[in-house]
Amino acid sequence: MQKRTEGPRRYRTLHSGWWLAAPSLLLALSRPGGIPGRSEALSAPADTTPHSEAYLVSEARSVRPGSTFTVALAIDLDEGWHTYWRNPGDSGTPAILEWSLPAGYHAGPVQWPAPERIPAPPLMSYAFTGRVMLLTDITVPPDARPGTTARLGLSAEFLVCREICLPAEVTRSLDVPVAAGGGAPDPARAEAFAAARARLPMESGAWQASAIPTPAGYDLVVHPPRGWDERSASFYFFVDDATALEHAVPQAPAWRDGSLHLALTRSAYNTDPGALDGVLERTDGGGFDEAGTRAALALAVPVQKAAATPAASHQALAIVLVFAFAGGLLLNLMPCVFPVLSLKILGFVHHAGGEARRTRLHGVAFAAGVILSFLVLATTLLAVRAAGAEVGWGFQLQSPAVVAALCVLLFVIGLGFAGVVEPGASLTRLAGVGGSDPRYRGSFLTGVLAAVVATPCTAPFMGVAVGAALVRPSAEALGIFGMLGMGMAVPYVVLSSWPGLLRRVPRPGAWMETLKQALAFPMFAVSAWLVWVFGLQTGMDGAGALLACLVLVGFAAWAVGRWPAGTSTRRALVTSRAVASLALVAAGAAAWHGVRSEPAAASVSEVTAGAWRPFEEGLVEAQRRMGRPVFVDFTAAWCISCQVNERLVLSDAAVLDAFRARGVVLVKADWTRREPDITRALESFGRSGVPLYVLYPPDPAAEPKLLPAMLTTGIVLDALDAMGASGSSLADAGRSNGGL
Amino acid sequence: MTTLRSFAWVPLAAGTMLIATPSSVARTEPGRAGPEIGQAAPAFTLPDTYGKEHALEQYSGKWVVLEWLNYDCPYVRKHYSSGNIPGQQKKWTDQGVIWLAVVSSAPGKQGYFEPAAMNARSAKEGSRATAVLLDPDGTVGHLYDARTTPHMFVIDPQGVLRYMGGIDDVPSARVGDLQRATQLVDQALTELFAGKPVSVTTSRPYGCSVKYES
Repeated sequence: MQKRTEGPRRYRTLHSGWWLAAPSLLLALSRPGGIPGRSEALSAPADTTPHSEAYLVSEARSVRPGSTFTVALAIDLDEGWHTYWRNPGDSGTPAILEWSLPAGYHAGPVQWPAPERIPAPPLMSYAFTGRVMLLTDITVPPDARPGTTARLGLSAEFLVCREICLPAEVTRSLDVPVAAGGGAPDPARAEAFAAARARLPMESGAWQASAIPTPAGYDLVVHPPRGWDERSASFYFFVDDATALEHAVPQAPAWRDGSLHLALTRSAYNTDPGALDGVLERTDGGGFDEAGTRAALALAVPVQKAAATPAASHQALAIVLVFAFAGGLLLNLMPCVFPVLSLKILGFVHHAGGEARRTRLHGVAFAAGVILSFLVLATTLLAVRAAGAEVGWGFQLQSPAVVAALCVLLFVIGLGFAGVVEPGASLTRLAGVGGSDPRYRGSFLTGVLAAVVATPCTAPFMGVAVGAALVRPSAEALGIFGMLGMGMAVPYVVLSSWPGLLRRVPRPGAWMETLKQALAFPMFAVSAWLVWVFGLQTGMDGAGALLACLVLVGFAAWAVGRWPAGTSTRRALVTSRAVASLALVAAGAAAWHGVRSEPAAASVSEVTAGAWRPFEEGLVEAQRRMGRPVFVDFTAAWCISCQVNERLVLSDAAVLDAFRARGVVLVKADWTRREPDITRALESFGRSGVPLYVLYPPDPAAEPKLLPAMLTTGIVLDALDAMGASGSSLADAGRSNGGL
Repeated sequence: MTTLRSFAWVPLAAGTMLIATPSSVARTEPGRAGPEIGQAAPAFTLPDTYGKEHALEQYSGKWVVLEWLNYDCPYVRKHYSSGNIPGQQKKWTDQGVIWLAVVSSAPGKQGYFEPAAMNARSAKEGSRATAVLLDPDGTVGHLYDARTTPHMFVIDPQGVLRYMGGIDDVPSARVGDLQRATQLVDQALTELFAGKPVSVTTSRPYGCSVKYES
């Protein structure tokens, strides 16, 4: 109060400020009868707009019946004073505009420009300083008669604040002639309105955003459109909902996995809104448009369900551990394990001939290798996730470098089995330490390989366990992964100490050499599969490079195997080793070239051609809003179980017919490469791996149904029948998704 | 048996493919300051405008309302000039509630008055608060994370916070809006006195920013 009365409010001429630049605007304001509010102010000493002036202006001189034109409440604030945005921040309230319009005229919502941040620690205000134009669209009824004049009345209240807040109240009116040929913008005001529009947030267009709940608040994830590459830009997010966030806490914007992440802090007054819509501002002077002039972007931000919501995450640790053990056990029956089957058979047969104690020790060494690998993989996964990357189980095969390395390794194992090369002796000597039998180490490392190759797949029970592990404290998570490894390893420990079974294995002999050579071919088959995976990740060029690498590795292996160390002349030995080394260097270069190749844009989606649409964020929701059921196949080229399901069940004519008959939208979420969107979608089901099959009923409120990891046509058809006919909910198809 | 020795070296490289990384997954969460519903309200002691000390502890066994106050804030003016807050103060102090208005404005800032001037102002505004407490260095304001004037807190006889937030649910400085507003403090006290659960325990506080010492 004392500030307000510190002196009689001086009469301020309209010449102050930027309005000099718009003389016709002043003409409009001084038109007789046009501004009763203003004329009152001229005659009365009371100032209804402390430390500010407010004007009502129209962009058009005259308007056409049936058209829409824009008017602005322009507020000109004294230096240092501000008035609030639609979310005022921690204090204050936004301007309230009330229109009185002739019959049939309609005023749209206020189009708020992007605000400024005005910190007042510990609080934060979102407000405007200097000059702000609050634009409103006015619709003229089609039956407005040309030749008449429409009087637009506005009464507005807003707060003018610096250290203190003063309420401002204005009543303004504007006479606009209606003319058949009207509607053209007044050139004298074009600049002011263009400047005002440049401050409005741009429609988000190809920008997508969502908020993921975190312990402290939300992880706001913003996906720029493809090709947008201004990583050095800085950002701030203004949320619309005044109760949701702590406005004063820094948002720490950072780029991860091609997306912009902002850490939003939950306010004590947060009411768990379903959306955190708002305005993303570039604070580095750049813009979101090509010209770089639009610094603000309107974002629709749905809040995703917390990953922790699925039932398993809340289940007792003991139950999750049981699930993990069962999942590991069943992993042995999944097609994924096919690659390491050869190794297991060979190892088993080999050790069966030995004494029982040693055989058992080999089993234990294998189990230790499996379990330790699970723990190392889990630790890596947790650490990578803690560093902020969105990765899930099987992440190692999302890296082309790891795929290439595995491919070469299995190829060389195959060569070894086939008898091309026998490098075992030197390597085992290298590996053997002290008195320990190097072959226990071999069993151990076979366990490691089994775990690395076979784990990307998700077995029944395992999906739930891994999903639960990732939202638990790291110690518990490691326990769960350890249990998975134990489940996978336990059959071998049991078999290797089962004397009855061991007795049935024939005595060692020539047949073992035959078996070993035959088992080279499963190894080559796995290599061939990995070349295919690699090709999907890096394109045709990449696959070609990897094949060249394999040829060179094969050549080197042959050179070494042809002239073995013990029996060759010194010259032959040196030459062959030199040639082999050169070939390996060339092989490494070829592989490196392959790893760095980029696929042609369509290469992954080609796989998903036909009835299947590639996964996009928001696609499922959009289709369900239109009343369509959706089936999502979460898959990856490196997941053999996924491939088996797709080829045997999801390509089955009866299944496809059933999908078609019910109008099911088929979506393929291909996780062959790292796709943060898909990782998040998996997490929304408490999962962190593929395969996962989800059937969404058309009713958006109905719970989606998860199908088991090993599909049969019967399972899919039953699920479709249980969902019922899609026709019943097509009535909802016209439901709109709302306005503002 | 040399033939099968190859088996031993084979997966050696596989082990090297696994990169062990320290499991540094623990992250510190930024703690949010301020009281929480259902928890003990932070203890404080403040002098009133007559120099008398008020400790929250001494009101154990009684209901306590805390109101952050700045008479010159338009939002506060709305609730005093209309008689809304004084009416609630009278209604509830008559039933034994301790209603403490806290002024966290720093000296020289809006809403700060010397004790005598504050008493004169309270009389003029018709305040019926039990006492007006002076918190010129903002200690108690920050303790309660008080953001606006008004900003309200309801504490039960066991010292547990039962409501915090706005005085009502229509954030504006217009007296006319009182008609359509739900008075949230009054509602919470009414429900608590009837032994019912509080239907709204938190709402966004609205008003002027508290004029803390900067």
